[in-house]
Amino acid sequence: MKFGVFFELSVPKPWHERSEHQVYFNALEQVELADQLGFDQAWAVEHHFLEEYSHCSAPEVFLAAAAMRTQRIRLGHGVMMVLPPFNHPVRCAERAAALDIISNGRLEFGTGRSATWTELGGFNCDPDLTKDMWDEALRAIPKMWTQEVFSWQGKFFSVPPRCILPKPLQKPHPPLWVAVTSPETAIQAAERGIGCLGVSVGTPQEYEERVKAYRRIVRECEPVGEFVNDQVNGVTFLYVDETEEEARLWGSKLVYTFGLLAAHFTGVSAIYPSPAYKVPGLLFALRREQEQRASPTAAGSGEGNIIREGMAIGTPETVIRNLKMWEEIGVDRMVFLLNAGEVIPQEKVLRSLRLFAEHVLPKFDPEAAAARSGDGKGKAPR
Amino acid sequence: MPDQGQMSADRLPHTLPLVSPPYPPPPWPLPGARLLKATYETDKDAVLRWLPPSLGRPVPPYAHIIVGHFPETPIGPFSLAVQALGCRARFLVRAYSLQAVTDSPTALMALREVWGFPCLLGRIAVTEGDGEAEARIEVGGTVVCVVALRGGAPIDAELVRFDPYLNLRLTPSVQEGQRPPYLTLAQIDPHYEVKRALRGKVEVGFPRANEGAPWHAVPFLAPVVAVWAEADTELPYARFVMPY
Repeated sequence: MKFGVFFELSVPKPWHERSEHQVYFNALEQVELADQLGFDQAWAVEHHFLEEYSHCSAPEVFLAAAAMRTQRIRLGHGVMMVLPPFNHPVRCAERAAALDIISNGRLEFGTGRSATWTELGGFNCDPDLTKDMWDEALRAIPKMWTQEVFSWQGKFFSVPPRCILPKPLQKPHPPLWVAVTSPETAIQAAERGIGCLGVSVGTPQEYEERVKAYRRIVRECEPVGEFVNDQVNGVTFLYVDETEEEARLWGSKLVYTFGLLAAHFTGVSAIYPSPAYKVPGLLFALRREQEQRASPTAAGSGEGNIIREGMAIGTPETVIRNLKMWEEIGVDRMVFLLNAGEVIPQEKVLRSLRLFAEHVLPKFDPEAAAARSGDGKGKAPR
Repeated sequence: MPDQGQMSADRLPHTLPLVSPPYPPPPWPLPGARLLKATYETDKDAVLRWLPPSLGRPVPPYAHIIVGHFPETPIGPFSLAVQALGCRARFLVRAYSLQAVTDSPTALMALREVWGFPCLLGRIAVTEGDGEAEARIEVGGTVVCVVALRGGAPIDAELVRFDPYLNLRLTPSVQEGQRPPYLTLAQIDPHYEVKRALRGKVEVGFPRANEGAPWHAVPFLAPVVAVWAEADTELPYARFVMPY
């Protein structure tokens, strides 16, 4: 199993002139270190208007900066909004190809359609249509990358014959993914032969059926790209420390802060009844759990007892044990959220990454661990 | 061991100060309810001005106006209109009842005393038909709010959602002159068995400002959606109480 890092770029209030700058540069330092330590991927979201939760609305810029600071780590759009009201699909293809070039062919191309009214309402995008919009763009973009002259006459956009430039460095094109928040989307990923990029924070148990269904269906897929990407990524939180107590203290702060920020934007299903959004989706597993508990103290329970099965929070031994659960259900890679609202000091985040690379990584990916470029204390080669 | 009292909580009188209130205790079954829910985006400062400190405002800030007509209830037919602010109790999606109107004096007492709806007595006129629904809410002879669903189309009943209400409860101090009174929020979360539903465009208007019933204080900034539903529902016991 391989490992990656995942960035929402959450910026806590009260904001000051340098708040966002600090968060961006902390994240870049984390990517740089992750690259040196042998992590396999770094993903950045695309979100809009999600105050505090995510200020990562132009991930291609963040990922380009990451590309310039790193050598090996693969860089992923996790995900790019490929809906025409957000981004014209031609612009999606162009930006991604340029990023693939400047990263020396390290791009992973995740796609998505948003799960929030906050975003869809902001772009005046009809929730009922997003699945079809996503599907159309997903089928067109690989053709933009591989056909010398591309043209398209679709339901949601059209393009007369044009050369879409540049072309990606990876041939025939970068691996394709979709953000998966429900079993239904996992099946749709499999049918299209694209990777399953888990973005809901769940337990291995919750993922297990999804992974099985994906594996079964992807064998018979009709790929939308030039090749099948049959990988499954899961996502969870990472905080490693020397003692269980310290790890749980900071890990709880991370999970709680993330959940609290996520709770304050508005999921589509919470406000707008649409057949395209039947489940809460996105990052609402924590909220669902709170709903299920729904006790008088649920609203006031603070950070206690919020660490769930499978989270990479604990001593190295605990984290190894928890990650084995993911390995057993057939997840290819686990991707980690490292911070939320800067609630963990940067030096602790970096130390957690180092502890993970030193003690956990060799148990799962000895090759990556052996290829580490030192202890990450020095500067990455430019 | 000393003897313990034997009055179980479920046998407690539901409102202690009244020996014999003119309404039966909860839960009230409300079959055949007809509900119009209008959701709209509103002003951040308006929401923050009204929300208790224990509740957070969502992004974007939004409000619901929920108008229900209940033809069969333990006290006879009545209507209830609630203006509720979309909010978060930590991780949880809730609706804070800011103001309400009912057209029945008996319902007025029960809704205020049992469930904590901040009700005034008024008139609620609802018209329905041909995929449209409109409700006019009147207080003191002034139409304070008109909400409508336009161009409604059937939608899967399972998709329709009503968030639990959080209603203010105010318990006066037992000592004269002590301020402020003890404030709590009671969660009222009726079950809804939606039979059929329409979804359409929302219209919200506040024709006349009424300072005694300031529905206009939560202004309409952008539409979200209107839903009309026919449902069997209830007014249950408050499930939880949380700090103000």
